[in-house]
Amino acid sequence: MGPVELLHMSVFSQSFSPCGRYLAAGNNYGEIAVFSLSAALSPDASERSQKPILNFTAHDGPVFSLLSTESHLLSAGNGEISAWSWAELIKKSTKAAWTRKPNYETSLEIPEINAMIINPKDNNLIVGGGDNNIHIMDMETGTFKSVLKGHTDYIHCLSFKEREGEILSGGEDGAVRIWDSRTNRPVHCIEVFKYEECARPQFGKWISCLATDSDWMLCGGGPSLSLWHLRSMSPTSVFPLSGCQREAVSYQDLIMSVGEGPYVSHCLHGGTVKAQIPCSPSSLNTLALNLKNTEHRVMTVGGSSHQIDVFTNFSYRALSLSF
Amino acid sequence: MGSITDDEVIRKRLLIDGDGAGDDRRINVLMKSFTKWCHSSFSPEEGMSQYQRMMMSLAQCEFSMGKTLLVYNMNLKEMENYEGIYTDIEKSIASAHEKIAECKKEIQRAKRIRKNRQEYDALARVIKQHPDRHETLKQLEALDKDLQQLSHIKENVEDKLELRKKQFHVLLTTIQELQQTLENDEKMESDDTQDSPMENGD
Repeated sequence: MGPVELLHMSVFSQSFSPCGRYLAAGNNYGEIAVFSLSAALSPDASERSQKPILNFTAHDGPVFSLLSTESHLLSAGNGEISAWSWAELIKKSTKAAWTRKPNYETSLEIPEINAMIINPKDNNLIVGGGDNNIHIMDMETGTFKSVLKGHTDYIHCLSFKEREGEILSGGEDGAVRIWDSRTNRPVHCIEVFKYEECARPQFGKWISCLATDSDWMLCGGGPSLSLWHLRSMSPTSVFPLSGCQREAVSYQDLIMSVGEGPYVSHCLHGGTVKAQIPCSPSSLNTLALNLKNTEHRVMTVGGSSHQIDVFTNFSYRALSLSF
Repeated sequence: MGSITDDEVIRKRLLIDGDGAGDDRRINVLMKSFTKWCHSSFSPEEGMSQYQRMMMSLAQCEFSMGKTLLVYNMNLKEMENYEGIYTDIEKSIASAHEKIAECKKEIQRAKRIRKNRQEYDALARVIKQHPDRHETLKQLEALDKDLQQLSHIKENVEDKLELRKKQFHVLLTTIQELQQTLENDEKMESDDTQDSPMENGD
């Protein structure tokens, strides 16, 4: 890969392996790189261990979403989802286990896939993207069994509430829609941009990040990042972050958020920004926490750079992995 | 090959030598001078001095042996002591590990509490935007009372209206009746007057 490609690279998605020892990252050239965290974090790590152990082209378009199941890595490209076995990836073999396409209404246009999540209860894969619809795939048979229609513009992000079995989706139309996964019917629709406290008309109304934690929901994008109480459907805290946020995660008593600007913001539920930790990319797209493995409990962030920053302690950058 | 053997020789000597005060050599010299003393005939003075010298070096040898013994015992004791310290430190490391685990649990709990408090605060803020339940209830009660009073007044007014309607009706019928009678009277009167001119005519 040449220096120009490296300069213009953006990392859009990340996923940790089920064992927690490897990290997969997808970029705007459709490549997936697999990094070994155990090598990069070992005491005798060298420059070489911060490079991927495997780098392969998975899709034609950018890889907007990566997801790990018990045994496979799922990657979403332009209109298709591929699965790669982690065991095979670690052995450096890059043959897709399967590739599926959601049932799109028109065959003329190939919509991108922006978000994928797993519904562990029913073993479903929930896919949202450029065709404004949410597609639900049965992981057992690999068939797309239902479509949730409601959004009027493309879908940016998805979240799943396990206890209630609810799917949340946020999109370019500025709405957060809540669906019942049992009946596949819409339950609620929150139009975040209509609430004065979080609206930012100068940025637009799109919702690009969505996260849930029991009765609480985090959402942001064009409107300010805000914490919502879902039972009362009201915004409780609005975080004073200047840029548009791309991904937010709630971890223990902290909310970690990334977006425009070269830093990870640590927020408290009360609505205060506790800290902003500097990182190497100038703008961040993705944040992932590795909680599966206690030995390599790290946070990784990626953005408009070929580097992926690794935080062993959440309050400072430890090292950077590089494509 | 020669150098190795030299090395070995030196090592062996050093081993035998003890703490390097030349004990080995001293014993050798003592043995040599003892055999010399036994075999050769000295004058009594010379023999005596030789004997004195031998006794002295024997005393020195005994002294160094005693010292070595003491040092050996000391080392044994020291070893025991170190063993004790080692187990102590091991124990304290284990307890420190336990303490760290406990503290980690504590911190987890504290974080949980902090999160819950913050969520509580956030919820409280939302709730605070709504008016107080007590006051609202009071207001509701007052309004209820007002409503009852008003409906009471309305009832009264309606009753009065009904009464007045009836009274008015009575009044109107009386007036009508009166009018009727008056009209009748007039008719009668006019009949009379019509009759009278005829009478006059007659």
